[in-house]
Amino acid sequence: MKMLVRLKPWSIGIIGAFLVGGLLAPQAGWAQESVSVRAGLVKGSLPADDPTAAAWNGAPASEFPLSPQVHWPNRILEVTAQSVKVRGLHDGQQVSILIEWADPTEDPDDAAALEFMIGDKKAHFAHGQPMAQVEGGPVNIWFWKNKDAKILDMNAKGFGTLKSQDQQDVKGKGVYQNGTWKVVFTRALSTADAVNDTQIKPGDFINIAFAIWDGKKDAFGDPKEKGSQKAVSSWWYFRAEPPPDYSGYFYAALAVGLAAGFQFVVIRKLKKGAST
Amino acid sequence: MKGGSLLKPAILIVGIYLFLKFALPLFTAPLPASLIFLYVALTATGIVIFATLSGQSTEAFFGPITRFLSGEGQAGAMKMARLLVLVLFPLLVGWQTYSSTAPSEQPPAENRTIHPAPPGEFVGLSNPIPNTPENVMAGKGLYAAFCSPCHGGNFDGKGPASRGFNPPPANFSDPTTIAMLQESYLFWRIKKGGVGLSIEGMPWKSAMPRWEVELKDEQIWKIIMGEYDGAHQKPRTWE
Repeated sequence: MKMLVRLKPWSIGIIGAFLVGGLLAPQAGWAQESVSVRAGLVKGSLPADDPTAAAWNGAPASEFPLSPQVHWPNRILEVTAQSVKVRGLHDGQQVSILIEWADPTEDPDDAAALEFMIGDKKAHFAHGQPMAQVEGGPVNIWFWKNKDAKILDMNAKGFGTLKSQDQQDVKGKGVYQNGTWKVVFTRALSTADAVNDTQIKPGDFINIAFAIWDGKKDAFGDPKEKGSQKAVSSWWYFRAEPPPDYSGYFYAALAVGLAAGFQFVVIRKLKKGAST
Repeated sequence: MKGGSLLKPAILIVGIYLFLKFALPLFTAPLPASLIFLYVALTATGIVIFATLSGQSTEAFFGPITRFLSGEGQAGAMKMARLLVLVLFPLLVGWQTYSSTAPSEQPPAENRTIHPAPPGEFVGLSNPIPNTPENVMAGKGLYAAFCSPCHGGNFDGKGPASRGFNPPPANFSDPTTIAMLQESYLFWRIKKGGVGLSIEGMPWKSAMPRWEVELKDEQIWKIIMGEYDGAHQKPRTWE
């Protein structure tokens, strides 16, 4: 019995530890690798039209595998780009997205595109094609082609509906170096046209997909990859990081103060009770 | 009063926690941490109710706690233990507050239903094509031409075109895919493709083609036959 008495206070600690452990465990979560692109907030100017700027070195890269487009005809079974590396930066006004992929040759018809859902409507990653049981929305596509040296701001809602917008909002540039394409796309985070343009609100996760074309000429003089024959990804996430939020620390400090105060009052009461 | 000892409640709580966390998953799916916490909290509540049924048992239960917390006549390790509890408690409350108020850094959780219910017209259909070696061979040929780029020549979902797609193409050799489905379900999935899924199946993410555009029903039924045969699986039946 003496033994038990001596152990008693320790068991309080054990019970406490398990209760606290149970409380904390559901909060713990582990991120998967490269399910999202994180565009960090920068002070000063964005490398808006410079894919080789030193500023990109500080931005974390996400890498996404690509597949040959086999979802709808005309299909292709082998493509040059096997994956795409993606970085993002924003300054609170504009967002720049840098994509990078390996291509052994520079060709005029080399091309790349970013695709986004618009608003809350879900859209199929293949050009927002109709879905049988879900009412889908359109997609916003930012399309770059080497020989055009510009970026087209486009929309689609189903195959054969791809159309360039009247209001072009996306700027950018591609640079080919040492077997690698680097293309930067830059646009304002939000635009006046919420119907056709994806709106990027810092802190929110939005859907993004990628497409790459190797414009190398085949034996017939046609680009090896063109139109629906391209390397694609399905949907991943993109987020412009919000400004740092320190309110969590404030609330935590407040909670520590309250808990310590509660503890103090309770123990004082216990001591009084014990002494009377 | 034996119940006054805090050791028994401690053993009971730890025992229940270990049982829920490690023993139960041997027989069923692992419990979520929140449910384990709920059970442990219920146990703790039960213990407190039991201990406070009479004035005597209340004193026996809370006496040691009171003495420990008030720190009367403590020395050495016990004094340190009390100090530790007094320092750790506010810190843990602070941590808990921080983790519940800090904004989430994770992409939205995706509870995608892999095999949502098919529309009524695709329930209970039976394969109209006779299961002959010729038809199975024809099905395997169609599979090689149309399905294997993603689902793989080995029926393992690892075809050369599979790597960019999220969710990944189904692995038919896995016992949790076609082996637990009926042929009519496969007929629906192949004919209507990813865009035919209901909202729980997240059709906007699926790369599965809508094969009704390019294949005849008869060819789809043959593919199903070839798929089961090639993946060494049998369709699920209700008999």
